[in-house]
Amino acid sequence: MKLNLTVNGKKCSLDIAPNAMLLDVLRSAGYKGVKKGCGEGNCGACAVLIDGRPRNSCIVFAAHCEGARILTVEGMGTPDSPHPLQKAFVDHGATQCGYCNPGSLISAKALLDKNSHPTEFDVKEALDGNLCRCTGYIKRIEAIMDVSSKQKSSKPALGGEE
Amino acid sequence: MLKNLTQFYHPATIEEACVLMAAKDGKNAVLAGGTHLANVADISIEGLVDLHGLGLTYIRRTDVGYSIGAMTPVQDIFKTSVFTGPAGDLVRTAAGKIGSTLLRNSITIGGNLVGVFPWSDLPPALLAVDATALCRRGIPKRTVDVKNLLETHPKNFLDPSEIVVEIQFPEYGKGTGTAFRKLAKTANDFSMMTIAVRLTLNAELISEARIALNGITKRPQRRMEAENLLLNNVPTIELFEAVARKSLENLEFCADFRASREYRQEVLGVLVRRCLEEALQKARS
Repeated sequence: MKLNLTVNGKKCSLDIAPNAMLLDVLRSAGYKGVKKGCGEGNCGACAVLIDGRPRNSCIVFAAHCEGARILTVEGMGTPDSPHPLQKAFVDHGATQCGYCNPGSLISAKALLDKNSHPTEFDVKEALDGNLCRCTGYIKRIEAIMDVSSKQKSSKPALGGEE
Repeated sequence: MLKNLTQFYHPATIEEACVLMAAKDGKNAVLAGGTHLANVADISIEGLVDLHGLGLTYIRRTDVGYSIGAMTPVQDIFKTSVFTGPAGDLVRTAAGKIGSTLLRNSITIGGNLVGVFPWSDLPPALLAVDATALCRRGIPKRTVDVKNLLETHPKNFLDPSEIVVEIQFPEYGKGTGTAFRKLAKTANDFSMMTIAVRLTLNAELISEARIALNGITKRPQRRMEAENLLLNNVPTIELFEAVARKSLENLEFCADFRASREYRQEVLGVLVRRCLEEALQKARS
């Protein structure tokens, strides 16, 4: 069957199986930033924004996303022009092995899009589904709080194209 | 994985969804949040009917309480500012205890109720607030008690073409207190034990009581014999201890790798007593 959706601002029409998961469809389409971890919705490595909501793409039926706007980590920034969150993760040493970073960044972006000045508790809650096998939990909180502190407006001011 | 899934439907109306559910000899299944269906191996399902586009995502204040669209993600319930009383507090607390933020954005109140999973956190809270479910079978509709829906099991209670579209529950005023406990290995893990309690006081006597649980038995349920012990009595520690003991009676405790039958039995009484104490404190405040 055909799946029509918008990934990182680009309209796509993909051939999919009805039982395919969004994670596998995105990776097959070249969005390798979306990582497969547990495959059961527990680790958050596969998180993407679906119409602005962070969700585990490994347990979302791709066909369910007909007409949806998807944002993967590739849509947040580029190596030449990283998103402020991506830069902060590097600056604060929050990257470590890197496997959880795409999902963690997506959850962080979803949080700051809604609440540009979160508390540390808000950050912990927003990233409670993004497990880090390197146990780098403190540094990513510091990175997100740093980005938040540099935002002047209470309105979302961050980039990233859905 | 749903190996035999060949069709994926996006109905535009509830009537269309009901027609699809009535077709194919029970081989179509409703897709709500999908977190369970994505993880099961069910070869009987050949089609999924996605309720996503039916406008069933909302939380509204009504004259007597609230109505919540069946497709509302539990994260929205956790973060809503619509709730203003003890019933809303209880349901909001239960919603916030479900999985992680990423999961709560997928899991819906309708799926969490109708799936009847032993680990679901919302059903005990819905039982404790006397929630009802609005069911549609095309244009005809009926409102049923969540208690009856769960006791019979939605698979047996609902007609194959019938879909739960809304959950409703009343709000309670001064004199009512609620409490919720979930026991799990980690904050994101499945529940080993979920307890929801509501107490209403009238001139220092308990006039209404609800004790509901899940995770202990195969299905969410109320402990009505224990509730009856509370009625028309002055709340005391001794009474709560007796009620906690009563709540253990005639229960078929589950056992799994998370907790043994004996452990669940031991801890349930303690948590019921603590919930009663907390609900009482809130009812008096």
